[in-house]
Amino acid sequence: MRFTITRQNLHQGLNAVSASLPSKTTLPVLSNILLETTADGVRISGTDLDVAVRIRVAVDVVEQGSLTAPGKKLQEITRELPEGPVEVSTRGEQIELRCGRSHFKLNGLPAADFPTLPDIPFDRGWTASGSNLLALIRHTAFAVSTEESRPVLNGVLWELRDREMRMVATNGHRLAKMTIPAGPSQETTTQLIVPPAALQHVQRLFNESDTVQVARGGNHLGFSAGGTEVYTRLIDGTYPNYEQVIPKDNDRFAVVERKGFESAVRRVAAVASEQTHRIRMKFEDGRVEFNVLTPDLGEAHDELEVSYTGEPLVIGFNANYLLEVLRYVGTQEVRLGFKAPERAATLEPVSGDGEAKRDYLCLVMPLRLVD
Amino acid sequence: MPRTIQILPDAVANQIAAGEVVERPAAVVKELVENSLDAGARTILVRIEQGGKRTIRVGDDGSGMGREDALLSLDRHATSKIRSAEDLRGVGTFGFRGEALPSIASVSRLSLDTCARGEVLGTRIQLRGGMIGSVEDVARTPGTTITVETLFFNAPARAKFLSSPTAESRAVSEAIIPLALAHPGVAFALESEGRSLLDLPPAADLVERVLQLWGEETAGKLIPILAQDGEITVRGVIQRPDATRPGFRRAHLFVGGRPFREAALLRAADRGYRTTIPEKNRPWLFLFIESPRGTVDVNVHPTKAEVRFRDRKAIEELVERGVRAALEVPESAATFEARPAPPVLRVAEPPPRRLSPAETTERQMALFLTRYGADAAAEGSGDEVGHQPGEGEEERGAPPRLWQVHHAWIVAEVRDGLLLIDQHAAHERILYERVIGRFEKGGEVSQRLLFPLTLRLTAAECAMVEDLKGLLQRMGFEVEGFGGDTVIVHGVPSPHPYFDSERCFREMIAELTVGSELTRAARNQHERLAKSFACKAAIKAGQALMAPEIQELFDQLFATELPYHDVHGRPTTVRLGLGELERRFGR
Ligand SMILES: Nc1ncnc2c1ncn2[C@@H]1O[C@H](COP(=O)(O)OP(=O)(O)OP(=O)(O)O)[C@@H](O)[C@H]1O
Ligand SMILES: [Mg+2]
Repeated sequence: MRFTITRQNLHQGLNAVSASLPSKTTLPVLSNILLETTADGVRISGTDLDVAVRIRVAVDVVEQGSLTAPGKKLQEITRELPEGPVEVSTRGEQIELRCGRSHFKLNGLPAADFPTLPDIPFDRGWTASGSNLLALIRHTAFAVSTEESRPVLNGVLWELRDREMRMVATNGHRLAKMTIPAGPSQETTTQLIVPPAALQHVQRLFNESDTVQVARGGNHLGFSAGGTEVYTRLIDGTYPNYEQVIPKDNDRFAVVERKGFESAVRRVAAVASEQTHRIRMKFEDGRVEFNVLTPDLGEAHDELEVSYTGEPLVIGFNANYLLEVLRYVGTQEVRLGFKAPERAATLEPVSGDGEAKRDYLCLVMPLRLVD
Repeated sequence: MPRTIQILPDAVANQIAAGEVVERPAAVVKELVENSLDAGARTILVRIEQGGKRTIRVGDDGSGMGREDALLSLDRHATSKIRSAEDLRGVGTFGFRGEALPSIASVSRLSLDTCARGEVLGTRIQLRGGMIGSVEDVARTPGTTITVETLFFNAPARAKFLSSPTAESRAVSEAIIPLALAHPGVAFALESEGRSLLDLPPAADLVERVLQLWGEETAGKLIPILAQDGEITVRGVIQRPDATRPGFRRAHLFVGGRPFREAALLRAADRGYRTTIPEKNRPWLFLFIESPRGTVDVNVHPTKAEVRFRDRKAIEELVERGVRAALEVPESAATFEARPAPPVLRVAEPPPRRLSPAETTERQMALFLTRYGADAAAEGSGDEVGHQPGEGEEERGAPPRLWQVHHAWIVAEVRDGLLLIDQHAAHERILYERVIGRFEKGGEVSQRLLFPLTLRLTAAECAMVEDLKGLLQRMGFEVEGFGGDTVIVHGVPSPHPYFDSERCFREMIAELTVGSELTRAARNQHERLAKSFACKAAIKAGQALMAPEIQELFDQLFATELPYHDVHGRPTTVRLGLGELERRFGR
């Protein structure tokens, strides 16, 4: 293998790919990246077996070939190379870099040792605008579960519906759901459960302005735009029926000014138990009262004016869940809906003037003190 | 009818008394050594032949006796130690009955050499079966030597019951050991047929005496205990939990310096160890009780082996509490050294009682650091550990630096070295105490679930869940039977961000249903549940933690009552002292 590439392109490619290498691995080849020549350039790939990243760069190939080489080392070297063309070549299982008077040789491993990336038929997939895709991910991925006993909840549910795309994530304590009116017309709904690690790479590697090709190949999903590809295994299983747990009969609503509300929650939560982060709120006509009492620590009382309709209600939450959700709701005003102290609360954006309308809904399950 | 009741002649009365007091050579040695200690001896030499069956000789450098006293000492009820019944209430000497010498003399050939301090000429009295044979002058240094030969020569039935010389020698040695522990400053020696069985030069304190008796390995893993309640004090040393083993143990109790037996007190001490050691381990204990005049009766047992406390319950409680408190401090943690330096005994001030729970986190931290500082300062000086700050006062309250290594252990830099903490074991201790607290003081907060867990269980497990429903609820599990083999969990506790509620619940119910070593060691249902939950819910080894989480775990651990011990009887923490580090690097 022999080709010449600009330092800039090589470095960018290596940066993109090395982030997908596992930090600890018992398989030495996984700490390597795969370099391969193609008809019109080279491909650089890296994977931790769950997610893979591949970059294609157009270069003049002098001699076809492929080899794997230590990813982090290559990245460290190219970071400090002077600007200019870099000649990359292989001799046996060694890779050589030449750039001006710099010359490096690194031991690699045969390309055949590298895991084969899945075959994704991008021509038979669909497209999503970078801005839509990133918005969906940003607003939902935070809510995934880390519990091992329910693997489906470890992923983000991506639904392709009729002219809509939706993402949902939950850990069973709180849930985030966002829908964007985009995509092809289709009769059936496709459900994909995507590991959040893959979505992080999507967030890292794609821009708002990209048009991202997405396609499914067997149990894998691929994202592609501008020569950058992200591959991921999909999570097996059936996502729980989230529609069923979204309350339809909430009949007590508060509209709060988000910043002020967040700040009140944050300050009373300072006194909440370190383990449960539990705060209590009492909603009644025109106001909400905050109460925190932590036996070994102290107590907090606070009050805010809010608009509230419905019977008075006392309800407890993990303050962290509330704060997290409030941050993603994002609008100046937020609408909270309740039914009862042991039932799910809803949080939705209230779009004001000049604020984009969003189909976004979060659920937070309350904390209850059981005696 | 003629009179049939007669007063027995002294010789017969003494023989009968001897039956109670003197049943074997070891009993003779005990009585004679006690007399020597009562006489203020600094050195006591015991020689035996044939396990004491042929000869017992106890020599001391105590006060000695004048001739008149020496003759009197062999009379029944002749004692210099008390004068009235009132004196008996606060008796501080081993002897008070005035019957040991005449009893021994009545069943042996006894010779008594003694010389009072300040005199030049001593007295030798020889007796046979209690009858004085001769009284003569003898030249000797101040002190007393009593030689008992052919014990039970005139009571062949008793002689028959004696064991082999080896067994009798061992019994003699066991008779001396408690007295040697009670008087570390006195030199003791025991020789048998010219062989040294015990050689105990004067020791600075109890721990040094233990070291002389059983070596550094034992003495180095003792921790001081001190508990006080009004005028009653319990002090001494007990075994560090990680050093305890099943099987044989040394357990010595003393009151007013007098050895005694009391199984109930040992059980109380064992209770103090609960959860810190595996159930079958038996900790070594050396406990000295001081209780005011009149609250303990020492005259209830023929050989004074037992005593009666006016309020035994109070003492049991104090012992249990004292042991607990001793296990709260850093010294009770496991160390790397196979043979750490024995603890410097500095017992003067009771450890501070735990105040309101609100204060504990703060206090424990501060205490933690001062202790280390104060330790270094107290080293060698033998001073009490007070709460005087160590050097580097400004470091107090500054949290130690912490690192997580191999996703399983936390390394803490503390004043005198390192602490290595097992993250899972530490979290077990935290959760255990938390759940016990919930059972006692009220329920846990339960996180309601969007998708309730629907769990299929075995019939036995379902029955168990049904049974425990109330307690599970207090732990934060809101459970509902669904008929048949299914239960539904609507709410769960959330003890840490990586908690897997379904797995924890399943594993816990399975363990409670089938039983395990852990659950069998529990004393009651509360303990059983708390232990099982702690074990299943605690952060696992392999879990990467973020810096604030490490800090939180550390703080919570040291806010618990027994931070150094997990709930399986294993250490949560191992100390690596700077001293040990320096030694290993040859500094
Ligand atoms: N080694 C000794 N040195 C000095 N005096 C001694 C010694 N042994 C015995 N005596 C004196 O002899 C007395 C009688 O001793 P004996 O052991 O018979 O009775 P006791 O010690 O007073 O009471 P008890 O029967 O409870 O032991 C003692 O009170 C003491 O005054
Ligand atoms: Mg006596």
